[in-house]
Amino acid sequence: MAAAAERIASRATAGRRARAVAPLALVLPSFLLAAFVVLWPLWDLTQLATHSVSRFGQLRGFVGLDTFLDVFADADFRAALLRTGVWTVGVVGGTLLVSLPVALVLNEDFYGRGLARVIVMLPWAVSLTMTAVVWRWALNGESGLLNSALQAAGLIDGNVVWLASAATAFPIQIVIGILVSIPFTVTVFLGGLASVPDDLYEAAALEGAGAWQRFTTITWPLLRPFVTIATVLNVIYVFNSFPIIWVLTQGGPANSTDILVTHLYKLAFRVGRMGEAAAVSLVMFAILLAFTALYVRMVLRREA
Amino acid sequence: MRVKPFMAASAAVLMCASAAEAATVRVTVAEYSSKTGPYFEEAASAFEASNPDTDIVIEVVPWDVLLQKLTTDIAGNANADIAIIGTRWLVDFVEQGIVTPLDDYMTDEFRGRFIETFLTPSVMDEQTYGLPIAASARAMYYNVDLLNGAGVAEPPATWDQVAEAARKIADQDGEVYGYGLQGKEIETDVYYYYSLWSQGGDLLDEDGSSGLDSPEALAALELYKRLIDEGLTQPGVTAYNREDVQNLFKQGKVGMMVTAPFLSGQIAAEAPDLNYGVAPIPAGPDGDRGTYGVTDSIVLFDNSEVKDEAFAFLDFLFTREQRVKFNTNEGFLPVLKSVATDPVFADDRDLKVFAEILPTARFAPVIAGWEEIAEVTSTALQRVYLGEATPEAGLQDAAAEADAILGK
Repeated sequence: MAAAAERIASRATAGRRARAVAPLALVLPSFLLAAFVVLWPLWDLTQLATHSVSRFGQLRGFVGLDTFLDVFADADFRAALLRTGVWTVGVVGGTLLVSLPVALVLNEDFYGRGLARVIVMLPWAVSLTMTAVVWRWALNGESGLLNSALQAAGLIDGNVVWLASAATAFPIQIVIGILVSIPFTVTVFLGGLASVPDDLYEAAALEGAGAWQRFTTITWPLLRPFVTIATVLNVIYVFNSFPIIWVLTQGGPANSTDILVTHLYKLAFRVGRMGEAAAVSLVMFAILLAFTALYVRMVLRREA
Repeated sequence: MRVKPFMAASAAVLMCASAAEAATVRVTVAEYSSKTGPYFEEAASAFEASNPDTDIVIEVVPWDVLLQKLTTDIAGNANADIAIIGTRWLVDFVEQGIVTPLDDYMTDEFRGRFIETFLTPSVMDEQTYGLPIAASARAMYYNVDLLNGAGVAEPPATWDQVAEAARKIADQDGEVYGYGLQGKEIETDVYYYYSLWSQGGDLLDEDGSSGLDSPEALAALELYKRLIDEGLTQPGVTAYNREDVQNLFKQGKVGMMVTAPFLSGQIAAEAPDLNYGVAPIPAGPDGDRGTYGVTDSIVLFDNSEVKDEAFAFLDFLFTREQRVKFNTNEGFLPVLKSVATDPVFADDRDLKVFAEILPTARFAPVIAGWEEIAEVTSTALQRVYLGEATPEAGLQDAAAEADAILGK
């Protein structure tokens, strides 16, 4: 009897243990895969950045942090870093400012809403590179669409060569960056707005709340998590975004529209400094990691 | 050990045949135009027909990403057996031991097929590391109607005449510009060398340091800067790459520009009514002039396990018939003596000019890090064109950076 009871008891513990281990075992393969996908390139980059590297990526001697010091001492890097800040804040800030009203309008019930939504989303389906190529034609100093349009509207007389200097090229690149980020951001906001229950608005309207009051007390607080998601994802995406600047100016003239990704690309594939390119990409990784961690923490604290 | 190449090749073929196993030769080729891929596929089939034991696999890669693709392939040890590369990259490949010398495979007959000028850029330490698969030089294209309309009968032969003609063209009615100047992307530095060489300057001083801080280099840049400031070029030169300037020329909006022979083919296809001519690059005050010679090399990788078969394919590519096909497609200059005398090229009005100025052709220096110096130079030029630096300051900065790269 005692033996049987013991056996049952031990079977029960084994069962409990198995139940505790099972989820872990199920998660483990995908966890390992994710770790491999993230950590292996990171390890590879660290190797490149801390060794003297040949033009073809073969490792020579260990140099420690020398490559990083070289990178930080490079005026082009510092200029590109600063410009990446302007680029990211400009594009993401602009996108949020434009997307919010667009999403609010599209969330209203009006005739043709479906069509309007499709039109706003449509640019998303076009590849970023293609968009940039089209803009490059439109911005052509001689026969570009933008010049013709502005001249027809009487805003300028004589052609402007938009891409000839950073003073005109970079702001235009930011505007294009905003335009292509709107569809995604509007989608996220629309998702958020759809989750706000209608009866809240009905109750507020019964209490005599105006439109602005309804927005500040109901819509905005409930939409805030979605703004957070849109901000974090957009920052990561825009910070690393390559095609617009590369297609339009290749970071030029005289490196004056370079952001970190284009600078990094030139280091790696134009001048063959693989080590420095790896160091720059690690710096970019660290910046994004820090930003994300900080932002998520701030948001969690606010919501707690 | 030096083995007779043909014996080695035939021995290899025999060995392969006895093993009844086809050798695969992977070839990375640069895409010069939409005709490049089909040409090489056809050449591969023709070669396979007479060499049934060899499989030729052609990979076509766009020019813009060729270096990137090769770099990644080599780093991953997944490179092809043969590849087309820009000859100015060759020294980096040689220094890293990536490519193998071809001298052991080349017979005197094979070597004798080539026009010597084009073979020399890929010779380093008396070893031949590449064969000139594509060759080109630069000359000045001019719009006959614009020049005549401005009262200029002959194409300008000196820079002074260029400036004068450009002014007369710019004074004409309509949106036309005298001289097309490139200020963006690939070969922005090269566009300045045309002026530099005509002033008697050179890219490197005799001691191997940068030649950009010489008085000749300054005179050359001041010449271009003057053209820009006086409105004799198209406005906003830093927004125009080579293709953009060529497009302006095709549209009949530019009086003169310097570029490569392939523009003739583009004009024939896209602007057949354009009345243009080709003349040598303008001379400087002392009659100096120099055209930029460019070759792309086809190289054999050191880690290839099918070198004999690979070279047999190269041998085939450099036969007269194959080269005539390739050059007709792409509009490059002949690199084989037999092709140069072919009526297709000998009687071509434009190509004749290019062939005549070949003796003055200069190539990019064969030194490690040249790409980086070209980048530094282009950036400095852009700053000067934009007015952010004086020609003197811009060139001195560029020379200092170039000297640092050169280790001088």
